[in-house]
Amino acid sequence: MKRYLIQVGTVTYAIKGRDLLRRKGFKVKIERKSGEKTYGCGYAISLEGDKSEAVELLRDSGVKILDITEIN
Amino acid sequence: MIYFDNAATSGKKPQSVIDAVGFALKNLSANPGRSGHDLSVKTADEVYKVRSKISDFFGCGGAENVIFTLNCTHSINLVLKGVLKRGDHIVVSSLEHNAVMRPLKKMGISFSQANVSENTDQTVQNFKNAIKPNTRLIFTSAASNVTGQIVPIGELGKICKERGVRFGVDAAQIAGVLPIDMQKMNIDYLCIAPHKSLYAPMGIGVLICRKPLENTVIEGGTGTDSLDFIQPRILPEGFESGTINVPAVMGVGAGVDFVNKMGILNIYKHEFKLLEMLYSGLSQNSNILLYTKPPKVYETAPVLPFNFKGCESFKTAEFLNRRGIAVRAGLHCAPTAHKCINTLPDGAVRVSFGVFNQPSEVGALLRLFKDEKFVKKLQKTY
Repeated sequence: MKRYLIQVGTVTYAIKGRDLLRRKGFKVKIERKSGEKTYGCGYAISLEGDKSEAVELLRDSGVKILDITEIN
Repeated sequence: MIYFDNAATSGKKPQSVIDAVGFALKNLSANPGRSGHDLSVKTADEVYKVRSKISDFFGCGGAENVIFTLNCTHSINLVLKGVLKRGDHIVVSSLEHNAVMRPLKKMGISFSQANVSENTDQTVQNFKNAIKPNTRLIFTSAASNVTGQIVPIGELGKICKERGVRFGVDAAQIAGVLPIDMQKMNIDYLCIAPHKSLYAPMGIGVLICRKPLENTVIEGGTGTDSLDFIQPRILPEGFESGTINVPAVMGVGAGVDFVNKMGILNIYKHEFKLLEMLYSGLSQNSNILLYTKPPKVYETAPVLPFNFKGCESFKTAEFLNRRGIAVRAGLHCAPTAHKCINTLPDGAVRVSFGVFNQPSEVGALLRLFKDEKFVKKLQKTY
């Protein structure tokens, strides 16, 4: 299963997003992203599963997504 | 000691609050939202849980709308300075604290004071009449910290919605005493002093925003966008620059749980009974001056101002303190409210109740004012 890092603006939104996705059955956790493409707080939601559904859920609940990276 | 100064801060904290603060000091000493290690994330998680609890308690629609501040005055400053610009007009009530009046004076913002009458319809009309074309904000205390009079914030919220004016409420004396639902009441900004009736530690305030703030009051590190020198305005971190008081935040969470467990209306009814008992007792004492009408349920917060005839309020408070009773005298940082009850410039003695006060304590105060020796001591100060 593919894994993604969904980067958001603040730790508060990271936790909000994680809790939302977890309630919907996604396998998620919070990670701090490092490297060049680090925006905002650097906190990201690590996701295993359907990216497009997760992104839609996050956007619908007001979680602004800064970047999405696929992790190999 | 009999503690009757709960409008300043609750004198006794529940054990659960004390335990939550201690737990945080022992187990959550990491900076939330800054570092990536497990303890930092765990602390951020616990802080988020408290934001969620507060959001649910006040019906604000999202944990991200809950900002932790230094105190309620800081929260009020954030609203006034974050919403109002030069040329704007604001309507405030006749009962406001200096936490509102002093920032407005410094900002040079044009304001009108709407008189809070004992007649709700008249109060609402007074606010309506004060609205001008450039009115951007109506800001009011939910209840006076001097008279205990409750302002009809639900009705005022409707007017604000109709007239397209933002609505801010100083809930320092009400949060934890009577229910507030920001969405139902159309409150855009709610300022809270959780160390009062939510029984949290001092040194923390809460501001809940359902609409944006255009300006910050303190700028600095937020743990976000560190390369950019422009202060971010994302809620809540953009308005929480610097490290937040995590032990106090945990205390707020435990305080909300405590109020929920007790039942907010049970707390109010308990405190209101004490208020009725005190008012009734003092009104039968010819040495006492009362400035308010008898308290009415859901119209009066558990606060009562009075004076001993011919004795300065500070002297009365000093003598009560010597007998182990803590009250607050003077102007209570709210001269406009004292103007309404004609107690300027010396103010009044204020008794304010909390959930831990008991009828026996009210009885002790009433007996003291009937005690000949005590009365003679007060009379000697004439």
